[in-house]
Amino acid sequence: MKEKTKYIIISIVSLISFILLWDLVSKSGIISAKKLPAPSKLFETFIYKLGNKNPDGNTLPIHIWTSLKEALIGFFFGIVIGVPLGISMAWFKKFDKFFSPLFDLIKPIPPVGWVPIMITFFGIGIMSKVSVIFIASFIPAVINSYSGIKQTREVHKWVSQTFGASNRQVLFTIAIPSAGPMIFTGARVALNGSWVSLVAAELIASTKGLGYMIQTARLVGRIDVVFVGVLVIGVFGAAMMEGLSFLERKLVKGGRRS
Amino acid sequence: MINKTFTKDMRETWMYGILGFLVFLLVWQAACVFTNFGKIFPTPKVSLAAFLQAFVEPIGRHTLLGHISISLRRVLIGYTLSSITGIIIGLLMGYSKLAHAIIYPIFCIIRPIPGIAWIPLAILWIGIGEPTIHFIIFMGGFSQMVMNTMDGAQHVDTELVGVAKVLGAKENQIFRKIVLPSSIPYIFTGLQTSLSTSWMAVLAAEMITAREGAGWLIIAGMQTGRIENNVIGMIAIGLVGLILATLLRNAERRLCRWTVRSR
Amino acid sequence: MDSTKQVKKEKPIITMERISKTFQVEDGEVKVIDQIDLDIRENEFLVLFGAGQCGKTTLLKMLAGLETISGGSIKIDEKELKGFNPKVGMVYQTTALFPWLTVMGNVEFGPKARGIGKTERQKKAQYYIDLVGLTGFEKHFPSMLSGGMQQRVGIARAYCNDPEIILMDEPFGHLDAQTRYMMEEEVEKIWQEEKRTIIFVTNNIEEALYLADRIVILTECPARVLTEYKIDIPRPRSLVSEEFLSLREEISSLVDLREGGNDAE
Ligand SMILES: Nc1ncnc2c1ncn2[C@@H]1O[C@H](COP(=O)(O)OP(=O)(O)O)[C@@H](O)[C@H]1O
Ligand SMILES: [Mg+2]
Repeated sequence: MKEKTKYIIISIVSLISFILLWDLVSKSGIISAKKLPAPSKLFETFIYKLGNKNPDGNTLPIHIWTSLKEALIGFFFGIVIGVPLGISMAWFKKFDKFFSPLFDLIKPIPPVGWVPIMITFFGIGIMSKVSVIFIASFIPAVINSYSGIKQTREVHKWVSQTFGASNRQVLFTIAIPSAGPMIFTGARVALNGSWVSLVAAELIASTKGLGYMIQTARLVGRIDVVFVGVLVIGVFGAAMMEGLSFLERKLVKGGRRS
Repeated sequence: MINKTFTKDMRETWMYGILGFLVFLLVWQAACVFTNFGKIFPTPKVSLAAFLQAFVEPIGRHTLLGHISISLRRVLIGYTLSSITGIIIGLLMGYSKLAHAIIYPIFCIIRPIPGIAWIPLAILWIGIGEPTIHFIIFMGGFSQMVMNTMDGAQHVDTELVGVAKVLGAKENQIFRKIVLPSSIPYIFTGLQTSLSTSWMAVLAAEMITAREGAGWLIIAGMQTGRIENNVIGMIAIGLVGLILATLLRNAERRLCRWTVRSR
Repeated sequence: MDSTKQVKKEKPIITMERISKTFQVEDGEVKVIDQIDLDIRENEFLVLFGAGQCGKTTLLKMLAGLETISGGSIKIDEKELKGFNPKVGMVYQTTALFPWLTVMGNVEFGPKARGIGKTERQKKAQYYIDLVGLTGFEKHFPSMLSGGMQQRVGIARAYCNDPEIILMDEPFGHLDAQTRYMMEEEVEKIWQEEKRTIIFVTNNIEEALYLADRIVILTECPARVLTEYKIDIPRPRSLVSEEFLSLREEISSLVDLREGGNDAE
């Protein structure tokens, strides 16, 4: 117990020294403030961006809202379509044989690779971004729910044989619940992939959103805004993952190994 | 009898696989012929021809293989660097509580930032060029490498550590002979996910800052309205991704023989 | 075989004086071992017999240096035991083999850690691999072996490090009866060939009677010495001789033993 508090204190000291060192390096000019703005400057910029549209045309909350909305819509559809498809592929042999080779073809293409094609189809706008994010979350959703069901398949067979449960009953009462943790792992990979692809898509072509904000700030040389944007991207990425973990703890009781 | 059902199963697998693929091509073809889709998108036949041609005829400065090998080179450099540093820092944090207490809170600031989000910063810091791209790939794989390795080093079976101590192992031997090998499966998981994010990071970086490479190929296809280049690029990217993942899986199978249960 | 084996009356190799162990848990403390006094002579085959969860593993871990001693003292060769001692080796309930090392790698681990050269340590490891009957399996990984074979590796690993005292913590608890009999014979054979002091923990009365020079019976948690039996039945012992059966009866009635059950980990 005492040891634990000791390490917590070390952590706090470490973090504070890191920020102080950063501040010192920047303010003393060892590294120019044009390359590394001081933490205090970043905080000012953050407050400023909360209400100001410079230099990229929108306030920070609007960028955040745009990015979150697009990421979550794409993620939602990726999960809602990907999970049932993965489960069906694992459960129905013919489904598996029909879709698996096709799926194997698109699986290794990184979601970012879809950006140009989607822009060609849908233009620069919410549709192109949402469809890239859809792909980014659809693929891990399928993979994980598929292997989640497959892994316990032998047990399912055994259960249905011994207890005479129908295929349908086994699927809904045993297979899907036992694949729950795996499906959530898939959702976590999917959410992470969604956020990454969103940033990529916004960097490449968009008119709003956090990725757009840092790209524009870079073009006009506002490194402080870039920094704030990058940190905000990190914070919201982490917050969404936390939210998902919270949901998982609520839904899958005792399923996850610690 | 087992053999018979087995071959029947194989035959079905192939049949359905080919059927699925044909349906896919048919839908693609039909969409090109009967809808507006065809105005912007090449038919399967045109795409395939363009794909094959790209091996001999340069697109931009290089042929398809040229672009791919440029991208691969970049990935290899960034990925190797991120893997090595990631493994070292991960082991350190997983093994030493003091190192964990010092590094982890700072690491937590950069951990959730996607590698791709570093692109604008990297350009401002280093300028446009190879080192920037390497840096972006590095940041793309680094956090995952650290997290997985750390996880492995933290999950070392304490009983085995005890066994080694009873047998006379010293602290540094415990690290090399117990902590390191038991982290290897976790390290491989890290290497795998990190490779695919590295591959994604290079594409994004090339789309934004490069004049060559697979990422440039597809973005240039879009910008010049030559969508077939885009399609070619995607096919190539998919194939390379597949090959990389397979290579790594084989390496894992070789290095982690002990985890494979033989029957 | 050496049937005239006599336990010499010499200075004990291990002396335990009023040793106790208390664990700190969330809601206070639990006393697991309560003032055990015990002397063990060189080359003695001592069996610690007690119910599951009574503190047997904890006692062995203290001897191996894996747990601290809360009270009292342990002396090995008249020297106070502090931490790890090269004179002590251990065979674990869970086998605890290194899964990433082959049979050879596991057995040579101790000598290697102590910096013994490759040819020498491998020769030695090979000797013990042969001794436990695993010749030909040197390059196998533990996951490829059966439970009985895994435990043989554990035994070879402990012996190969040249300890004077070998602690065996219910090494055959997880094995089926048939394999268990075989392993008991094996352990006895090895003990006859390679004289060491063995402290063997079990909750199986038959195993205890088959192997022991002396059986020390522990009480339920916290463990104290209830009583002890000197077993003079000549070796190799028959499991159905009259002497054996009557002793078995006697000890069984002494402890509230649910035969076969109580096999707690
Ligand atoms: N590290 C520990 N912390 C708290 N309690 C422990 C610890 N190790 C063992 N115990 C407790 O000590 C008791 C004896 O355990 P053990 O020595 O493993 O018994 P045995 O080997 O005889 O089955 C058990 O009740 C167990 O829960
Ligand atoms: Mg025990």
